[in-house]
Amino acid sequence: MGLVGLELYKLRRKRLFLMVILFLAVEIGWAFSATSISISRNPGSAGWEALIAMMSSMNGLFLPILTAVCVSRICDMEHKGNTWKLLLTLSVRRGALYAAKYVTASLVVSLACLIQAVAIAGFGFMKGFEQPVPVLLLLRFLLGLVITNTGVIALQQWASMTAKNQAFALALGMVGGFVGVAADLFPQGIRRIFIWSYYTGLSPVTQSYASAHIQFVVRDMGSLLPVMVALTAVGMVVYLAGSVYVSRQET
Amino acid sequence: MLGRCISAEWMKLRYSHIWAILVALPVISVLIGCANFYMNQGVLTKEWYSLWSQVGLFYGEFFLPILIAICCAYIWRLEHLNKNWNMILAAPVPSAGIFLAKWIVVGVLLILVQAFFVLLYFIGGKTLGLNAGLPQELPGWLLRGWTAGLTISSVQLARSMRIRSFAVPVGMGLCAIFIGLGMYVARLGLFFPHSLLTVGMGVLSQTGLSCGENPVFWLMNILYIGVINTGAIWRMRKHDRVA
Repeated sequence: MGLVGLELYKLRRKRLFLMVILFLAVEIGWAFSATSISISRNPGSAGWEALIAMMSSMNGLFLPILTAVCVSRICDMEHKGNTWKLLLTLSVRRGALYAAKYVTASLVVSLACLIQAVAIAGFGFMKGFEQPVPVLLLLRFLLGLVITNTGVIALQQWASMTAKNQAFALALGMVGGFVGVAADLFPQGIRRIFIWSYYTGLSPVTQSYASAHIQFVVRDMGSLLPVMVALTAVGMVVYLAGSVYVSRQET
Repeated sequence: MLGRCISAEWMKLRYSHIWAILVALPVISVLIGCANFYMNQGVLTKEWYSLWSQVGLFYGEFFLPILIAICCAYIWRLEHLNKNWNMILAAPVPSAGIFLAKWIVVGVLLILVQAFFVLLYFIGGKTLGLNAGLPQELPGWLLRGWTAGLTISSVQLARSMRIRSFAVPVGMGLCAIFIGLGMYVARLGLFFPHSLLTVGMGVLSQTGLSCGENPVFWLMNILYIGVINTGAIWRMRKHDRVA
């Protein structure tokens, strides 16, 4: 806990939270304006499901890049300040340092997700949606994001810690964002391979094009549960692999 | 003097492996664009134009601006590390030379990326069995895309010079993409650097620029490049740097 506190302390003048807020403002603004246009064209489509589905698809693009930026920021300060040797002379294990950075990154990105959920509720409230705020759907939305983030953060941290040149980690994030936004176009077999595709894959609401109009279908939690468990396991494996690899790396 | 600065910048890039990113991102754009074109051939019937709309969308709208942001951030990162600011500002070269050398190097990298991208576009089209001639507008799209790329490079270089973090200017670049997309939708595409790329490369509309729009496009690029580069060089001369 102390190590996480120190990581957060190191971030205090990095304006990371300001950047996250600005990033979210663009994403949320974009998602809400698209939803507003959709509602004005088709008032019948005004509902929480459309809003959550829109935000999930925007997350496919934005969150991998936001995660890459946050993780890179948290890891790069040690590369840039040449402070790895200093940290390693302290009586803490390398694994603990790795875990502290992982937890810090997870906290920052989870906070961003929480802000999204609150913004969704606020937008629906302002637009006067007939149904009450779907707390359960929003919780499922958050759960899907957090589980997907566990794997994505682990992958990004591995990249950011291993390569001093952060261009590679950010390029990975960019590819992730691209896969995230295009994932629904891939065949299911290919989609499953990419961790970034689960931003939409674990969304509680999906879009169906069965008829001429787009329909929003609430997914059954039971069908998503095995995927969530498997993805959490994958995230843990990536985290452990990254931690072991970085711990054995010479600094 | 500028020539020696450019030569120094090239030497700094030698072992950076930045080429891996410059190669990978156009490949991904073309692969996905071609796959999308292949799966929707029933709707996409304008051969090379339709293929351009698919590969260009991903490349010009998302990958190229972020690629530029990454290149610019990398090229300044070297100065932000190891107190190199002190060294570079103490070197007997003018501030303008340092900034312009970086800008020219990014410009040359962009030419290579554009050339590689068009080669992939051609190979992709031939593989998909497109037999018609390449679009006449293609050189114009590439040239205008490169020019708008230079404008974005100026913006990103100025940002990356000021912000010591590698990732933050890249993130800001991504936000700018969406602002640019909004400007394009609002029909103000000729007045924002990132939407100039959308307009110039014919990413969302392949109809080309009208006689009135074409001079505005070039004028806006020159204006942005002139103002931003001058501002960045002025800042470099007048403000103290934290090494």
